[in-house]
Amino acid sequence: MNMAITAKNLSHSFGEDLVLRNVSFQVPKRDFFIIIGPNGSGKTTLMKIISGLLKPRNGGLKILNRSIDQYHRKALARTIAYVPQMTFADFPFTVTEIVLMGRSPYLGMLGLEEENDLEIANQAIAFTGLENLAHRKLDQLSGGEQQRVFIARAICQEPDIILLDEPTASLDLAYQVRIMDLMEQLKTEKGITVVMVSHDVNLAAMYADHLLLLHNGQVLCQGLPDEVITYQTLEAAYGCTLLVDESPLGKSPRVTLVPRKYSIRE
Amino acid sequence: MIKFRYITIVFMMTVLPLISEGSPSVAKTITDQLGRHVAVPDKPQRVVSLAPSITEIVFALDQGHRLQGVTTYSDFPPEAVKLPKVGSYVHLDLEKIVALKPDLCIAIKDGNPRVIAQRLESLKIPVYAVDPNNLETIMKTVLEIGTLLNAKDRANQLVQNMDLRIQKVKSLVAKTTHRPRVFLQIGVSPIVSAGTHTFIHELIVIAGGTNLAAGPIPYPRFSREKVLALSPEIIIITSMARSAIFEKVKAEWEKWPNMPAVRNRRIFVEDSNFFDRPTPRLVDGLELLTRLIHPELIDKIQ
Amino acid sequence: MNTKAPFLIKRVVTASSLLLLLLGFAMVLGISMGSTDSGIKDVFQNLLGTKEPESMLYTIIWKIRFPRVLLAALVGAALSLGGLVFQALLRNPLAEPYILGISGGSAIGAIIGILMGFSRFPGVSLTAFTGSIATLLLILAMSSGQTILKKDALLLSGVMVNAFCAAVIMFLVSMTQDSRLHNIIFWLMGDLSMVDMKHVGILAATLLPCFFLVFWLSNPMNLLLLGKEMAQTLGVNIKVVTFTLLIVTSFMVSATVSYCGLVGFVGLVMPHLLRLVFGPDHRVLVPACVFGGGTYMVFCDLLARTLPEQGEMPAGVITAIIGAPLFIYLLKRSSR
Repeated sequence: MNMAITAKNLSHSFGEDLVLRNVSFQVPKRDFFIIIGPNGSGKTTLMKIISGLLKPRNGGLKILNRSIDQYHRKALARTIAYVPQMTFADFPFTVTEIVLMGRSPYLGMLGLEEENDLEIANQAIAFTGLENLAHRKLDQLSGGEQQRVFIARAICQEPDIILLDEPTASLDLAYQVRIMDLMEQLKTEKGITVVMVSHDVNLAAMYADHLLLLHNGQVLCQGLPDEVITYQTLEAAYGCTLLVDESPLGKSPRVTLVPRKYSIRE
Repeated sequence: MIKFRYITIVFMMTVLPLISEGSPSVAKTITDQLGRHVAVPDKPQRVVSLAPSITEIVFALDQGHRLQGVTTYSDFPPEAVKLPKVGSYVHLDLEKIVALKPDLCIAIKDGNPRVIAQRLESLKIPVYAVDPNNLETIMKTVLEIGTLLNAKDRANQLVQNMDLRIQKVKSLVAKTTHRPRVFLQIGVSPIVSAGTHTFIHELIVIAGGTNLAAGPIPYPRFSREKVLALSPEIIIITSMARSAIFEKVKAEWEKWPNMPAVRNRRIFVEDSNFFDRPTPRLVDGLELLTRLIHPELIDKIQ
Repeated sequence: MNTKAPFLIKRVVTASSLLLLLLGFAMVLGISMGSTDSGIKDVFQNLLGTKEPESMLYTIIWKIRFPRVLLAALVGAALSLGGLVFQALLRNPLAEPYILGISGGSAIGAIIGILMGFSRFPGVSLTAFTGSIATLLLILAMSSGQTILKKDALLLSGVMVNAFCAAVIMFLVSMTQDSRLHNIIFWLMGDLSMVDMKHVGILAATLLPCFFLVFWLSNPMNLLLLGKEMAQTLGVNIKVVTFTLLIVTSFMVSATVSYCGLVGFVGLVMPHLLRLVFGPDHRVLVPACVFGGGTYMVFCDLLARTLPEQGEMPAGVITAIIGAPLFIYLLKRSSR
C-alpha cells in the first residue's frame, strides 16, 4: 500500500447543508491527482479537509498511512503544504521572506532560520524561476509571479504532498501552462505528490495521472483521465452539452464546449 | 564660678532662640481641615499657595511677603500677579513648586489633585489642606491660616469684621417681609445656575432672597422656558465677560416682557469673583446681593 | 552547518541597539529639561553624582522628572506594541491599540472614578482598568466563540462599542460643571504628570512580561499576515496564538491607559513608521516598537512639558500634532 492519501466515506456539512457525501478515494504516492467538478460540488471543502483545516463530520482520512488525527500540527505542516486560491499581499514582505516562512514547521518559536534553511529557500526560488525577483516586494509582482512565490514557499516546506486550490484560475495562458509544468517537475524531480483542484478540464486531462470528478458533494467518477472524461460523466456533472474527443497532441482526451448554435440536439 | 555658669545657661536659653528666629526648622504637628496630621514649621517663610482663594486670604492677612509662589489665576490682589506661578490649581506643576523650596504649601480640597499633596509630602514638603465650602468654614480657614502664618491677631480682626457684617445683613433682612425670587445666572450658554450646595445659594438666602435654582444638583442647567416658568423677580448675571456680552444677554431676557425681572428692570451683571471664591470678598458679595435684592436697605449697608 | 542565520539576528540587534541608543538619548534629554531652568552642566553633575543628594535639583531630576520620563518610555512602548499587534491580528493598517473598546471602556471607568471622588492612584486607575477589561469581555462575547477568528466581527464590535461609549462620555462630561471636569478632560487627553517611582515600578513589572510574550509570538504574527489558513497549514495554532495575543495586548494597553489616560496616535503611527524603516518582519518590529515607541513618547512628553509658557500641554496633543502629518507623509510615500 503505497498510498499518499486514503479517504474513506468523508462527509461534511455546514449547518444544514450537506456539502460532502461519502467521498472515498486514494491518491498514490508521486501521483498528479486532480479534482474537477462544477462550482459548489464541494472541491474546496474537500481540499480543506485534506489539508487539516477542517475536520470532517464523518469518515476517515489517512495521510501516508497514518490517520490525520494522529498528526501533530507541525508534523502535518512538514508533510502537507497548502497553496490556497486567495493570497494576501497586505504587508510588504519580500519574496525571500515569504519563501522562508515555509521553513516555520521545522523551526522553534522565534523561527530563527539557519544557513541550511536559507539554502533550501534559495533552491525553491531557483526551482520556480524567481531568482531575479528574490528581493522584490510581493505587491510589486504580477498575479502569476505571486502564485509562483507561494508555490516556492510550499516547496520550501519540503512536504510529501502539495495541495493547490485552483492555482491557474485568473492567470494568463502562459502562466497556466508554466504552473502545471512546474507541478509535473515537482512530481518527477522531487517525488512530491501533487493534489490539485482545477476548473480547467482540459488542463486537468493533459496533466493528471488520476482524476476525481465531484458532483453535488459526491464522487461521480474517479480513475484515469480516459475513464473519467467522457461526455456522459461530464454532462451529468456540469449539466451542459459537451464534445469529448482525443486531443491533437494525442495521449489525452479533449473537451469542447458546444454553443447553442452548434448544438445537434434541440 | 557656679553663678557664672548659671548666667551662661540662662543666656543661652534666652538669646539663642532669638538668634535662630530666622530658621523655620522648628516644627509642630497640627491637624488640618481634612483630618490630616501635618508637621508644619513654626514660622513659615517660603509658602506656596495652591489656589487663588488661598492667595487672597494670605494677602488679606498681610502675610503676602511669605508667599514664594501662587497658582495661575491668582489675580487678586494685584501684588499676587507678580509672584512666580506654579501651574493652575487643578493641574499643578510639581517641578515648579519644588524649585521654589517651600517650607509649607497650603492646599484646597476642592480642586487640588490629592496626588500632588501626597508627592509633596513624600518630598518632605508639608501640605496643609483647607476646605472652605461655606461662610462659616471660610472664616475658620482664615483663622487657621492666620495661626499657620503667625498672624492670629490680624485673622481675628478679619473674621470679626466679616462676622459683624454678616450679622448686620441678617438682622436687616429679618425685618423684611418679602423674599424675592432670584435667578443667578452663572453660565450664558448654556444657562447654568447654582444649587443648594454652593456659596451663591448661601449668599442669596442670607441676603433675603429665594434661590430659584435650589436643589441637589450643584450647577443645574436651565432652558429658557424653564426660567420663564419660574418667573424670577431678579436676574443676576455673573461673568467675567465684558459689557457687550451683558447687553446681549439682557436683550435676550427682554424678549419676555411678562417676566417680573424684565418688567421691573431688575436684570444686573456682577463680577463673578465676589461670588465664587471662598475668601473674605464673599462678604462683599453678600452685601452687594443684599443691595440688589432689597434696594430699600441700600443706605444701611455700606 | 549550525550557524544561526546571521541576517535576522543582525537585523534585530542592529535595530534594537540603534533605537535603544536613541531612547537613552531621549531620556537624558527628558530628565535634563523641564518647567524649571537648569543648566545642562548642572544636570550632568547630578547624573554623575558629584552634587549632594539632597539638593533641590537632585530632587527635581530624580524624584520628579525621572519617573515621568520612565513612564513615557513605558507608555510609548506599550501603545506602539499594542498598535503593531492589532494591525497584525486584524490585518488592518488602521488598527490602533484602543480599537477593541479599550478607549471607551477605560474612559467611562475613569470618569466614574473621578466623579466618585477617588484620587488618581489607586482609585481612578483601578476603575479605568476595570472599565476597559469589562468592555473587552463584552466585545468578545458579542463577536462570540468561533467567529473570534473572523477579524471583521471583532473589529466591528470594537468600533460599535467605542462609539457608544463616546456618547456616554459626552453625556457625563456635559453633566459635570465643577472642578472634576478638569480632571476628566486631562485624563481624556492623556496625562503623565501624576506618577512616582512606585507606580512606575508596578507598571514596568506588569508590562515587561507582556513585551517578552509578544516578542516570543512575533514569528507566528508574521505567518498570520499570510492569512489564517496559510498560518495554520504552516503549523501555527491560530486559535491559541490569536487568543493569547488578543488578551495579552488588551491587558497591556489597559494597564497603560489606567496610568496615563488616553494618549493617542502613538499606537497608530509608530508601527507604520518603523515598518517603513525596518521592514515588516515582526521579530525586528517588536523590539523596534518597544524602543522606538518609547523614544517617540519621551520626546513628545518633553515637548508637552517645555513648550508652553505656562503649564503644560496634554501629551496626546503633541503626539497627534506630530503624528498626524507624519502619518500622512508616510501614506503618500508608501503609495509610490
